[in-house]
Amino acid sequence: MNTLRVKELLYDLQEFYMMSVRGLLGIFRKPFYFNDTIEQMDYAGAGSFLIIVLVSLFVGMALSLQLSAELSIMGLKNYTGKIVGISIIRELGPMVVAVVYTGRVGAGIASELGSMVLGHQVDTLRVFGVDPVKKLVTPRIISSLIMLPALTIIGDMVSLLGSYYIAVFISHQSATFFWSSIHQVLTFQNVFSGSFKPFIFGFLVTCVCCFMGLSTRGGSQGLRKSTTQAVVLSIIMIIVVDFVLTRILLYVLGFSV
Amino acid sequence: MIRFDQVSLAYNSINVLDGVSFSVDFSERVAILGGSGYGKTTILKLILGLIRPDSGRIFIDDDDITGKAEDELRVPRMKFSIVFQEGALFDSLNVKENVAFCLREYSRLTEEEIDQKVREILRVVDVEAAIDLTPEELSGGMHRRVAIARALAACEPKMFLYDEPTSGLDPVNADNICKLIVDLANGGKGFMIVTHKVTDALKVAERFMFLRDGKIQLDGNRKELLGATDPDIQQFLSELQCLTKMQGLKAD
Repeated sequence: MNTLRVKELLYDLQEFYMMSVRGLLGIFRKPFYFNDTIEQMDYAGAGSFLIIVLVSLFVGMALSLQLSAELSIMGLKNYTGKIVGISIIRELGPMVVAVVYTGRVGAGIASELGSMVLGHQVDTLRVFGVDPVKKLVTPRIISSLIMLPALTIIGDMVSLLGSYYIAVFISHQSATFFWSSIHQVLTFQNVFSGSFKPFIFGFLVTCVCCFMGLSTRGGSQGLRKSTTQAVVLSIIMIIVVDFVLTRILLYVLGFSV
Repeated sequence: MIRFDQVSLAYNSINVLDGVSFSVDFSERVAILGGSGYGKTTILKLILGLIRPDSGRIFIDDDDITGKAEDELRVPRMKFSIVFQEGALFDSLNVKENVAFCLREYSRLTEEEIDQKVREILRVVDVEAAIDLTPEELSGGMHRRVAIARALAACEPKMFLYDEPTSGLDPVNADNICKLIVDLANGGKGFMIVTHKVTDALKVAERFMFLRDGKIQLDGNRKELLGATDPDIQQFLSELQCLTKMQGLKAD
């Protein structure tokens, strides 16, 4: 029984790898499904904008509040801007946006593809000679590779604004000092570190959710299972990959730990 | 021609097909009968290469498709057009776009020509008025008609495959769909219909296969089906006997 499960797991991993590579290579191969890509970008980008703004705003405000309270005790509350800036740009911004993106877009991808499998729509594509990976996965990968980094930049900006509001209007810090601290942390290393991660997260989340959706079996219960697994796996993957990327980027960009 | 040679398939160690062999010509009108879970739809999926058998061989025009890769299956699949159970229309596209799907993928027709062709096909299946509706706005009968229209728009199939085309429909709509299937077959293209409704099968088909326990229990014409002594087939035909009795009562 265990051998069978290991075999199934290895087979699934192989299928996941094949689908991800074919989905990525599909970007450079004809036919190009331009309209599907635009539709996905609208769903993933424009559709997620408000929720990302809302979540990022409160994350920035909460972080600023916590830091202001703790740093005031040590008489260092003017450093709030710098610490908040580094945390948001390098770490929290990309991760929070990716997690929210998974909850909204990833779950949507898994359930949509899952119901297409159960409703024989994917089989219909295959019968019509259309590659389901090219038609369904590639536009979603392109969409995530463009929209998640864009949403991360917007999320970072909103978080910093929320943080500014708390630091200046609640904690009564100097606005000039706050923005000059933020300006100081906007170095190439920090910005690169924060803007590289969303590309990887976007690709991984999309591939995991597409794979889980396309592997759906067994009616509505199967759909529930595959959607839940897609979201849980994606979030775990974001957190683990974030750690690995942070370690690699710190090394590559010359930070000493 | 479709040829199954000792095809077996099991799902979770349950034998769905057990050494099934048969040949069907593209011009034949075949109904595959049997209860739920007897492997009727599985046969259609095997013909299209959507699933692979555990053992045995499947030939389409003497071309062995059993071990073919997805890319290699494109040519044999082009010989068929399928109407899945519930229609399987693309939810994100309206009726026009659903029917135009294959035309956009494979033809170099202009927008105007596609529009004209789609309207022409929708007129054949009598749902031209629904051209701008989305699948969720369609009734069950219209849904099937649009699915048949989409199958008609496929690139010159040699045979149509219908998976429970009348399931979930009221008797009037089911009858209309049966008439449509026969009308379309009058052009010379055969079909294979999978159903558990004997009455519908008798309305459209000329050859009948009855599946049970992974084997074909009966493969014959109308006379052979109606005269079958097998208790399972008799039980299956009880729907028909019931109808006959009702018609007798009505006549009285």
